[in-house]
Amino acid sequence: MRRIGAWFDERLGVYSVVTGFLDRRIPGNIGWFHTLGSATLFLLVVQIVTGIALSLSYVPSPDHAYESILYIDQTPFGALVRGVHHWSAGLLVLCLGLHTLRVFIWGAYRYPRELSWMIGAFLFLVVLGFAFTGYLLPWDQKAYWATVVGTNIAGSAPIIGGAVIGLLRGGEQLGAVTLARFYGIHVWVLPAALLVLVGIHLFGVVRQGIAASPRTKPLVEPDPELDRRENYEREHEAEKAIGKPFWAAIFKDVVVAAVVLAIVFALALVVGATLEAPANPNSTDYVPRPEWYFLDMFQLLWYFTGEQEPLLIFLIFTIGAAVFVLVPFLDRGRARHPRQRPIAMALVSVTVVAVVGLTYLGATGTPAGVVTVPPTEGMTDQELRGLTVYNEQGCTACHQIHGVGGHTGPDLSRAGFRWEEADIRRQIVTPKNEKMPAYDGLSQEQLDDLVTFLISLK
Amino acid sequence: MAVTGEPLGSEPVIATEAMSRRRFVVRALAVVGGLIAAVVAIPVAAFGTAPGWQSKVPARVISTSVVPTLRSNEWTSVGKVADYEVGIPTYVVVERDVVDGWVQESAPIGVHVVRQDDARAIVFDPHCTHLGCPLAWSAGAGSFVCPCHGGSFDTAGQRVSGPPPRPMVQYETKVTDGEIFIGALPEGA
Repeated sequence: MRRIGAWFDERLGVYSVVTGFLDRRIPGNIGWFHTLGSATLFLLVVQIVTGIALSLSYVPSPDHAYESILYIDQTPFGALVRGVHHWSAGLLVLCLGLHTLRVFIWGAYRYPRELSWMIGAFLFLVVLGFAFTGYLLPWDQKAYWATVVGTNIAGSAPIIGGAVIGLLRGGEQLGAVTLARFYGIHVWVLPAALLVLVGIHLFGVVRQGIAASPRTKPLVEPDPELDRRENYEREHEAEKAIGKPFWAAIFKDVVVAAVVLAIVFALALVVGATLEAPANPNSTDYVPRPEWYFLDMFQLLWYFTGEQEPLLIFLIFTIGAAVFVLVPFLDRGRARHPRQRPIAMALVSVTVVAVVGLTYLGATGTPAGVVTVPPTEGMTDQELRGLTVYNEQGCTACHQIHGVGGHTGPDLSRAGFRWEEADIRRQIVTPKNEKMPAYDGLSQEQLDDLVTFLISLK
Repeated sequence: MAVTGEPLGSEPVIATEAMSRRRFVVRALAVVGGLIAAVVAIPVAAFGTAPGWQSKVPARVISTSVVPTLRSNEWTSVGKVADYEVGIPTYVVVERDVVDGWVQESAPIGVHVVRQDDARAIVFDPHCTHLGCPLAWSAGAGSFVCPCHGGSFDTAGQRVSGPPPRPMVQYETKVTDGEIFIGALPEGA
């Protein structure tokens, strides 16, 4: 074994490179939080490997895409590979988000790592691009409608909106050209961008070294005589002197990778990758809902109305992305410890609360597909008829009863307890709130049934 | 590979003459290489982005959604006027000859038909003008309701509530011999 290794090393001379890489000193306090980056990298590799496998049996054409997915699911290990691809994508977004959060809180985007942050921010956008284009490929209902909505959001850009829609869909309509484009972008354009960006990102990590954990007081007092680079070098050398070799930190990364893989396999085996009914552009009762990592953005769209709305969406998303990429230049202070950066910590807290809150609201709102409130035991015939009216009239789009339905209007789970019968009746026919359409086209009998049903909810 | 403390880009000193020759070669390479790359990249980028710059959607300061419906320029019957009640929208799915990229086929296309009188009808594309979600007619509300963000429209396609920035998209229509025909969707709608 040793002799074979020596034979190769004589020809490649790679041994010293590897040992140099493993022995290089890194600061101490490199702990579990630092494994988020390597977990993200690990999941990216899983994505590439399973994605290549899936491409062996997938056909990007509206005629065959759905059937080829069914075929993959019937092939031995096909459902597992597709499940792993699906779930590791979700976990990848999560790990990437947490890794970004860790780097922000640690203030690790400070000199000399500004470029690493910016490349990382672009990688985040690339990963979201992967998710968005990957979604359409199964050509099921979720795929089709999420893409209708997604391309229209992208198309809300002022002036160039039409061009953006054309670029994404391959024309005005959504069809064969769109699917082929999304496939090409998903398996060629984005992976190329990913490899280049990950390469630079990792090169930066090795070249600059891992950022030390933030301290309230530096190890070495900065010398005003020295320039920024020299002061930084002195501090970083001091951190490395009390640090450890890189090989001593790898074990945690392996543990986390194994745990992440176990979670992905468990989800892939137990839950599997979902596949809804084949895409039907003519269904009018389908409720489009995106994957969880886009729910926050989707939920945000509830809160803007009027003619300026597309412009607002565009500005929010564009400014958000620009701020994200330019963080190192917007926050130019010297301090890295969270306690010395109260404004940055406040802003990141607000962002996290907003993302989690909007995702929660989106997730607990109307689910995808056709939503109906189920009957419960002991309901009278009239109440059952009222429930049918409720479901048929699409009340679930805005109202929730025991967790089923949307969030725009008030929760009706205890409507009979909260309001008088006459008030409910008036609110249905002549609503005070502009957001609710007037349901004045109901027959007297339908209205009576509906009101009877609603006041029975206590 | 090990990180040293050396400033980036440090290099041994080379004789001035050799350096100026090297600089010339590197710059010449950059120019020639750039030209070669451009010859490959320009047609590739132009081909890839063609649907963008060829887009028929007009440039608007406030861009709105574009319905995803497969398009056709032929006149297609959606049934007899007499089969529809005046003012009550009906959803029908008709077969149309559409062009979908390289595919020419007969595809089912859904439309909301609203008869106005014996000689006129409005035919709507069933997608919300907010983000393109499917619009269903709710008889109880007397409006087309969008399940995504609560947008709604009346029988004339005008916005009643919610975020939609413009009225519903209408087909070009004509009534001939008591039969309703739909033509093209407006370009860029």
